[in-house]
Amino acid sequence: MKLLLLGMNHRTAPVEVRERFAVVDPSPLLRKLIDRPEIEEAVLISTCNRVEIIVMTENLDAAQHVLFDFFGRELTAGDFPVGGASGVSLTELTYLRRGRKAVEHVFRVASAIDSMVVGEPQILGQVKDAYRDATEVGACGPVLSRLFQRAFATAKRVKNETGIAERPVSVARVAVDLAKQIFEGLEDKSALLIGAGEMIETALVALDDHGLGVRRIANRTTAHAEALAERFGGSAHGLDELDALLPKTDVVLSCVGGDHPILTRDRVEAALVHREGRPLFLIDIGVPRNIEPAVHEIDSAYLYDLDDLQRVAAANEEERQRESERAERIVLEEREHFDGWLVALQAVPTIRDLRRRSEDIRQGELERYAGRMGLDEDQHEALDKLTLGIVNKIMHAPISRLRDETDREMGLARLEEARSLFGLDEEPSLSRVRGGADDDEGESEGVAEDSAGADSDAEIDS
Amino acid sequence: MIEFQHMAAALYLAAGVGAILGLVLPAPRVLRGACWGLGLGALAQAAAFATLHRLDSTPALTDLGQSIAVMTWLGVLFTLALLYRYRLPGFVPPLAFAGFLSAFGATFTSPELAGSGDVVGSIPHAHVLLASAGFASLGIAGLAGTFFLVEHRSLKRRRSLAGRRSLPLPSLESLDQVNRIALVLGFPLLTLGVLTGSLWLDARSGQLFSGSLHEASTLIAWTIYLGLVVARFAGRQGSRQAAASAVAGFAFLLFAVLGVGLVS
Repeated sequence: MKLLLLGMNHRTAPVEVRERFAVVDPSPLLRKLIDRPEIEEAVLISTCNRVEIIVMTENLDAAQHVLFDFFGRELTAGDFPVGGASGVSLTELTYLRRGRKAVEHVFRVASAIDSMVVGEPQILGQVKDAYRDATEVGACGPVLSRLFQRAFATAKRVKNETGIAERPVSVARVAVDLAKQIFEGLEDKSALLIGAGEMIETALVALDDHGLGVRRIANRTTAHAEALAERFGGSAHGLDELDALLPKTDVVLSCVGGDHPILTRDRVEAALVHREGRPLFLIDIGVPRNIEPAVHEIDSAYLYDLDDLQRVAAANEEERQRESERAERIVLEEREHFDGWLVALQAVPTIRDLRRRSEDIRQGELERYAGRMGLDEDQHEALDKLTLGIVNKIMHAPISRLRDETDREMGLARLEEARSLFGLDEEPSLSRVRGGADDDEGESEGVAEDSAGADSDAEIDS
Repeated sequence: MIEFQHMAAALYLAAGVGAILGLVLPAPRVLRGACWGLGLGALAQAAAFATLHRLDSTPALTDLGQSIAVMTWLGVLFTLALLYRYRLPGFVPPLAFAGFLSAFGATFTSPELAGSGDVVGSIPHAHVLLASAGFASLGIAGLAGTFFLVEHRSLKRRRSLAGRRSLPLPSLESLDQVNRIALVLGFPLLTLGVLTGSLWLDARSGQLFSGSLHEASTLIAWTIYLGLVVARFAGRQGSRQAAASAVAGFAFLLFAVLGVGLVS
């Protein structure tokens, strides 16, 4: 029961490589993957910044080989074979995580610590989608289900207990945040966009997300403004209409070429007279600046240029990085919990064998001596209960120790010791001679329930 | 009655502490809990007022401790009404602590200052209730003005924006609207409070204005607010000036109502 992850992200591969590995519909690929005997469970995460496959296997080396082969052949439809037909080896573009490292990696990805923009909110939804896809095709078994449930819980903890996602780190989001400090809502506000270039277009896309009510686009060449207005909605104007537009505007975004500021202090002051004290938020992303800096000195005018916004964004990013250290500690804590659960799960076969071995011995001895002693039915029943009680009491402590150990190393060492001390690997056929397949299954389920119970306790304690 | 006042004081205190924690951490759930605490405190204080008559010696509403309790209670109710519409969590700590002090203070003054003395008829009570409501409303205007000035300063000093925690601060626009609403509501109430006060004085001493420090300073405060209302609604005042005026006006009113008592 081992975890293996093979992935490629924005740090290991450029976008022109990543896009060749991007998966639109993971279902058929997951079916192919779990059809392989080396792979027991699998989840495939594919976003614009990463492609990752995490699998549960009994044979790490074989699974590793399968994954590399799968990455090279299936994800790119043979376009990027193992060995590097394109001149770059797949091993150079990918990373491999085993066991605890794989668990930690999944937790970090879900918590957006591993993202290009630390703390970005989209990744959790994408990981949830990947998990749902894997569950739908039956590729996600109990181990990966548990792993992803814990990953979602970890992401929730990171979000709630750290400030990793609190502060905006993009210039557009910083501007929107500033606007929200000035206005209660943006829905009933009107925006005036001066210019019709790429920056204004990007801003219009951002404004779409925040539902600014009215948009007016003013440009030297009215035709360009009209083209944008048609695409994004709003009205087009010439720069000569600015004086008429300003009093009706709440947010001004300016990015237009020119040597001199378009909006001077006098011009803005004149417009504010008609606004009855209502504030005016101005963003100047033009270089050279389009709005006279002295405009900020007017009481009701709040002017920010590109440097101001970038300064805030950079400071916020630094803060997110600091918060990510706290997030890493949460990830490590959660990884330990998951490890504990995994150890408890790995203890199931050993506990089952131990119970079977002790029961075989008890039954054997009981049959042997009951016949010799000539016991009647009542006496036989009493002796059966007596021996069962003794065996259960003796086995209780070792089974509890095996089941409840949450430290991974200690747990695995105990399992090994138990198998050696009780000789569980020496006579595997003994129980099979006496018991049947149905008996095995029932006993296994019982032990599994115990194990789950132990895990629940561990969860509550933590 | 005393039990309800104690309960109100405890709830207000808890709400104040919770709101500060909620703002500093920041923890939205704690902040929401603090708002509920403020509401429950107001409910307990309402119960205290409702059971005033059950005391052996019913305290007069005109007693300063009681009227301050009424003022803060009305202020809390006003804030709770505003919280439905605006993001004003920053209002909770000052209101909660004022509520705590007034509810706690009222438990000391109420039983002893029983005699209604010259408080006869409905005019004195109408004066206290109207003036208290006006005071509470204009207090909210002053609070909104204070927050506006702090937020305005922060936005004007661009550097201070970097590294700020994203506190659920109210927007300038909402603070200005709250200021406006509180002024619209508070000024007429204050005017009615001043008028009923004059009528009470007339009934007591046969004159509408005795020239006492309390009356003189209240009249000055009322005049300041009159100027503020005219300037505001004639469109001659920007939001920042309106905020500063609301703060100054309330400071004067505070002196007129409470400060005069301390001075004299």
